[in-house]
Amino acid sequence: MSTGPSPTDASPRATAREPVFHVRGLARVYGEGTAAVTALAGVDFDLFRHELIVLLGASGSGKSTLLNQLGGLDSPTHGTLLYRGADLAQFDEAALTRFRRDAVGFVFQAYNLIPSLTARENVALITEICRAPMVPEEALRLVGLGERMDHFPAQLSGGEQQRVAIARAIAKRPAVLLCDEPTGALDVHTGITVLEAIERINRELGTLAVIITHNAILADMADRVFTLSDGRIVNVRTNARRGSVRDLAW
Amino acid sequence: MSLLDRKLLRDLYALKSQALAVALVMACGLAMMIMTRSLILSLGTTRDVYYEHNHFAQVFARLKRAPNSVRTQLAAIPGVATVQTSIAMQVTLDVPGLDVPAVGLLNSLPEHGESVLNRVYLRAGRLPLSQTTRHELAAGEAFAEAHGLRPGDTLAAVLNGTKQTFRLSGIALSPEFVFEAPPNSALPDNKTYGVFWMPYKELATAFQLYGAFNNVAIALAPGAAEGAVIAAVDRLLAPYGGRGAYGRSNHPSHRRVDDEIRVLQGLSIAFPLVFLSVAAFMTNSVMSRQVALQREQIAMLKACGFSNAQVGAHYFKFSLAIVVAGVGLGGVGGVFLGGRLVGMYHIFFRFPSLDFLLDTRVLVVAAAVSALAAFTGVAGAVRRAVRLAPAEAMRPEAPARYRPALLERLGAARWFSASFRMSLRNIERRPVRSALTCLALALATAILVVPNSFRDGVAYVIDFQWDIVQRQTVTLSLVEPGPARGLADFRHLPGVMHAEPFRYVPVELRAGPVMRRVLLQGLPAEGTLSRVIDAHPRQLPLPPRGIMISAKLADILQVHPGDMVVAKVLEGEERELTVPVAGLAEDFSGLAAYMEISALNRLLLEGDRISGAHLVVAAGRWPEFLRAVKDTPRLAGCIIKNSIREGFRKTTAASIGLLQKIYMFFATVVAFGIIYNSARISLSERSRELATLRVLGFSRGEVGAVLVGELVLLTLAALPLGLVLGSAFARGIITTVNTETVRLPLVLTTANYAFAVLVVAVASALSALFAARKLAAIDLVSALKALD
Repeated sequence: MSTGPSPTDASPRATAREPVFHVRGLARVYGEGTAAVTALAGVDFDLFRHELIVLLGASGSGKSTLLNQLGGLDSPTHGTLLYRGADLAQFDEAALTRFRRDAVGFVFQAYNLIPSLTARENVALITEICRAPMVPEEALRLVGLGERMDHFPAQLSGGEQQRVAIARAIAKRPAVLLCDEPTGALDVHTGITVLEAIERINRELGTLAVIITHNAILADMADRVFTLSDGRIVNVRTNARRGSVRDLAW
Repeated sequence: MSLLDRKLLRDLYALKSQALAVALVMACGLAMMIMTRSLILSLGTTRDVYYEHNHFAQVFARLKRAPNSVRTQLAAIPGVATVQTSIAMQVTLDVPGLDVPAVGLLNSLPEHGESVLNRVYLRAGRLPLSQTTRHELAAGEAFAEAHGLRPGDTLAAVLNGTKQTFRLSGIALSPEFVFEAPPNSALPDNKTYGVFWMPYKELATAFQLYGAFNNVAIALAPGAAEGAVIAAVDRLLAPYGGRGAYGRSNHPSHRRVDDEIRVLQGLSIAFPLVFLSVAAFMTNSVMSRQVALQREQIAMLKACGFSNAQVGAHYFKFSLAIVVAGVGLGGVGGVFLGGRLVGMYHIFFRFPSLDFLLDTRVLVVAAAVSALAAFTGVAGAVRRAVRLAPAEAMRPEAPARYRPALLERLGAARWFSASFRMSLRNIERRPVRSALTCLALALATAILVVPNSFRDGVAYVIDFQWDIVQRQTVTLSLVEPGPARGLADFRHLPGVMHAEPFRYVPVELRAGPVMRRVLLQGLPAEGTLSRVIDAHPRQLPLPPRGIMISAKLADILQVHPGDMVVAKVLEGEERELTVPVAGLAEDFSGLAAYMEISALNRLLLEGDRISGAHLVVAAGRWPEFLRAVKDTPRLAGCIIKNSIREGFRKTTAASIGLLQKIYMFFATVVAFGIIYNSARISLSERSRELATLRVLGFSRGEVGAVLVGELVLLTLAALPLGLVLGSAFARGIITTVNTETVRLPLVLTTANYAFAVLVVAVASALSALFAARKLAAIDLVSALKALD
């Protein structure tokens, strides 16, 4: 383990040389004048296929803002944000929609399932609109939910709901999986099954995974760990070898 | 089915009661609109087809007598296409089983061939044969039905002083008598007045009119100017005792059908419009609440790659489902009610057949209007939702900023409980939403006021017209005006306790370019039987000079008391009198003018003459009186006040009563819908807050008080506003349905207001009860964990 490399360096697992994300001087300021709040104050990094990245930081450090930028949910105020060479900052609403539809899988802390659709239907909702998806059943089996596909969200536990959300995110075979506090609302045991699901997708499909957490223990499962504070990356740690989720020091 | 559509179905199912409430309100407005517009179409089409098919004339004239040769001169008037001359005589009838004398209008059928104009439609039997049989006639359907007469039955008529018995050869209708009411009466009395047809020769001979005519019908050539033809006819017929020609717009039967259509037009727009606006408002509130609740789902859909258009379309479909349900229910309801109501018109109007025609155009327009209303309702909410960046939408809405309510700031806080303060602040925090809810509740109250104002108006007319204005038992009229000493004969009829004379003269009243034909009634200055009453209502003594006219007539002629009007006498010698308007009389059917009887006779230069008398007859001697009347020659008519009143009750009052019941039903449905919906929305918006209160240790009752408190406050504010609005609606609608033949006064009673308040209170109480039950079911833990 070493600390201090530049965030633009690739981790050992980053096999392809072309980065998925190329980020330079990325800043996001909300509001104007005296009311302006700088959520992101200029960050630089490259992210590659097969990588699992953990973003650490206190509340308000800019983690979620960064994740939203990567997912095309928000546009930067300054700086460069390239996805496979294409400038996301220049994308219009329609292009951003296409980007999210085809390239990005989201996992939210509050799961955000459609309560009126079953687990299978929640996944199918997304597979219906994207290009080369898995069948919903396959995605649900990948997260270990093959048995409870026809249950409504209200009939599932928190961990199961979050795994449905992960299945929904990966069913489109996204290039990027963005997870915002995926275990925030879960107990340790359930948290582990959810993280295992994310790790498995990253390993088996080579999907770039970015996980926001306030739980530093998760850092050991990452290839690289970015620590944010006041809208800047203040520390980057590269793990030579990723720890398995079960071995994390819970 | 796409999964978004499946989501839609399940969301709709979850919202079923609210969606149904909105759809029902919409359906009520549509049903009303479709029902009335279809009735307009049915009546209008049936009338036009009937007129066309049976050659209804365009210009009409009555005269004393003219030789048949004048017909050629009439036909030669430029613009005249066809002329039909005939004899029409009013006679006294003696109908078996009827203890009062009835009046019949006998019309002649041409000697040869069929009538060229105003062709008779035969319902049963055959027309009387002119050559072979004598003493046959065909009866109008309304009269025949009222007496159960069938072809082969007999009745007696006094023709020119001689009583003759006639056999009914058939039952007939005519485009001239779609509305079969006595002349100068806006109300039908089918028991005592009927129309008949008999051969020309027989009728003419009886009245010594063979080779002459006293009735003219004219069809105009295409493009002919009606006014010019009327003037020419008047000039030609003047030496023959012409009583003034008139066009279709002054034809009593035509006018009555026209007025009915006008009433329906008034009802078909204003009232449904209120309902549809309420429905639009409800769709708006349901949808914006639904969209707000699904804020995070929308964010997720957008984050996962659904476009704004797809998300927008999803919610539009949501409102479309409600519209489809509303239009479907409204269409079925409108067709059903229209079908039932069309039968009611059979009481008034006699057409060969009156079938219900669905106005499909209005169905389409109504559906489009409702869809537009619903879409407008949804558009704002959806636009707000999709405009939000998904990252932002993912977070719960920032807590609204609260501050002490105005009343609290004014220092009244110490008297309020915490839950009352929460209700107050909640109302103040969202002033627009609160105002709209208040307005919806006010509309619910308002639409409840309208139907009952119809009912109360009818009740007032019945009392006013037949207790305050007309206090006689019976009115007898002479065939021809006679000398005033004839009053003594009336006084000597058995049972007569009091008699007052009248002199009726048909006149044409003119002020500037506007003119109307009315009956100028000469009455004693301060009569006690048929009286002239103003709006207050006080008796107006008739002045020695000048005339009193119906307030409606003053409105039409655009004159005020003190202005001069020109009265052209349409009887006997032609003369024009210029008289001042002395006052305005309140009356609710037809148009009338009144004058002191001797002043009228002076102006007519005919000496003291009377047309008949109003009588009060002792109840105990009624049968004796009727027998005497039946045997009195030269009586043209006998109008029994109570049978006219009954006729009104059974016809106009019954039809308005039916409409009132339908409207009342709709208004109640809508009032419940609005209130229930408001409570539901309030509950769903605040379930988190209310659950929190429960967690913090508030009892269910205390929490319920917060929720119900707000509804109660808004309802209290809405009720007075609703009563004011309702009164304005009632005024507006009654004004649009006020016609020259029948009018309703605006009567707003405490009972009406109390009923509206009661319905709203009951609806509020039930909705509150329902909300309280739902409140008990709130899952406290999950309500706190995540947003709805």
